[in-house]
Formats: sequence, C-alpha cells, structure tokens
Amino acid sequence: MNKINPYLILLIRCLLGLVFVYASYDKILDPGKFARDIANYHIVPFGLENSIAIILPWLELLIGAGIILGIFLDGSVVLSGSFLILFIVMIFQAMMRGFNIECGCGLKEGEMVGWSKILENIVFLGASYIVFYSRNRVLEIYPKTPLSE
Amino acid sequence: MNYQKQVIIIIALSVLIGAIFNTLRHDGIKWLAEPIKTVTDPEDALNILAEPSIREIDIETARSLHGAGVLFVDARAEEYLLEGFIPGSIADDDVEVLSEKINTLIGLDKGFVIYCSDDDCGSSEELAYELQDIGFNNILVFKGGWRSWTDAGLEIEYNE
Repeated sequence: MNKINPYLILLIRCLLGLVFVYASYDKILDPGKFARDIANYHIVPFGLENSIAIILPWLELLIGAGIILGIFLDGSVVLSGSFLILFIVMIFQAMMRGFNIECGCGLKEGEMVGWSKILENIVFLGASYIVFYSRNRVLEIYPKTPLSE
Repeated sequence: MNYQKQVIIIIALSVLIGAIFNTLRHDGIKWLAEPIKTVTDPEDALNILAEPSIREIDIETARSLHGAGVLFVDARAEEYLLEGFIPGSIADDDVEVLSEKINTLIGLDKGFVIYCSDDDCGSSEELAYELQDIGFNNILVFKGGWRSWTDAGLEIEYNE
C-alpha cells in the first residue's frame, strides 16, 4: 500500500470520512426515526435500538472526522471497516428474510435495502482497508505514523 | 498509541457525547424502546384521545373497523398498489399530500388505520410517526397489513 501516492490516500480518506460524517447528520437530528429504522431489521433485542440510535451517529461522526483529519486514524478506519462489515451482514440478512425495509443508512432519504447498498458498503470497506495499510500518510494530526513502521 | 486503544477512546467519547446530547435535547429518546401498545376493542380504538397515540391492531380488529367504515391508509409505495389494496384505502407517496387528504376526510382527531405489506415492513409505523408529528391524534397500525388481509381471504380492490 506504501507505493500508492499519499495524496491519493488523502483523497480516499476525505471521501470515506465525508460518507461517515454525512451519514451521521440525519441520524443525529432524528434519533427516534433512526431507532425505528434499526428496529425494522428485527435483529436487535430488548429495545436496545434506542441505545444504538443515541450512540452510533456520534460514533460515525467521530470516525468520519478522525479519518479526514488524521486523528486516531488507525482506530477510525478499524471502526469504519468493522461497521461496514456489520452493515453488510445486517442488510444481507434482511434481504434473505424478505424484508422490504428502509436501509436507515443516512445517505439518501427512503433508500431501501438491496444489492446496490451491499456493493456500496464493499467499496467503502475496500477504502478502509487501503487507508489502514498505507503507512506513507499526509495530514495526520495525532498520532503520527512513523514511515519506518 | 496502538489502534486498539484508539478504538476504545473513540467508542467511549461517542457514548459520552451521545448521552449528554440526548439528555440535553428536547426530543431525546429513552435508552430502551417501548413496544407499541395493542388495542383489541374496536370501540376503544376509535375513542377520541386526550393525548396523541399510536397503537397496534390485529386482523380481527382491522376487519371490524373496516366494516364500520373507518378510513384505511396504505403506506406501501405506489408501485405496490398495482397488486391491489384494502377497499376504500387512500395512499400517496407524498406525506404532505396524504395528510391533507386525511385531514379533509376525517380531521385530526378521528382514528384511522395505517397498513403496509406485512409484519416486518415498518413503513406503516414510520408513516404513523410522521403523521403524528403533523398533528393526527389517533393512529392505528394494522400489524400484519396487506399479507394478513389477503391471507384471510378478505375483499380487495384494484385501481383501474
């Protein structure tokens, strides 16, 4: 990954980070709706969809900001990758169970679960992978990655 | 600092900010969701309520209310209406237009029923909350919706 131009990595980081920041916006504004979107997946027990709706949007915001600004960059991309895998699994199980539900992804109003969402998340997952394994980085506020690593 | 520590710090910060923000905002939600209450008596379902309410009904109550001429609203996207709908139902993908239709027909206080495809579709509940925000006071979500209605062999209507 170190052969990739660091400014291309920065561009990938900005795009990936913006996706997470943008996705968090509507969820922060309306946690009640986000909780109902989560509940529609029928996978979260004990009414915990509300707790997730309170915390997850801020997690997405911090991850997005961290990826763009280079603050806890490694931790941010590990989390972005982990969440993208989780989102892929959740969307896939909903499709397999025949649920025709809103994605609740926060990128586009009224977007339904489907293969295009899974493909989109796989692309973002690839971007997280590239950023995590790139050591030749520009714009990294804290902590800085030594090039010899 | 290794990435494991960074992950813990990011998660801890998110929990903290989420908790503080949810406590301070006027429309904060409870940490655990409460299930929607169910109403089985058709008369109870149609009482004028002191506070806005969204409640669930089953197929039997839905059938009684339909027989009594209660308004039904189809929350499915318009393309699904081609396969038919519960007789007399109204629908519109535009919530503003739909709310005006409901308001013109029955006003804000009378009860009406919303349904979607089946138990798991979620769009009836979503629409119910949107309409409650607009000002409708007694909304009944028909759990089971279109699938349980057709499974019960009840009458359906088609657009010509």
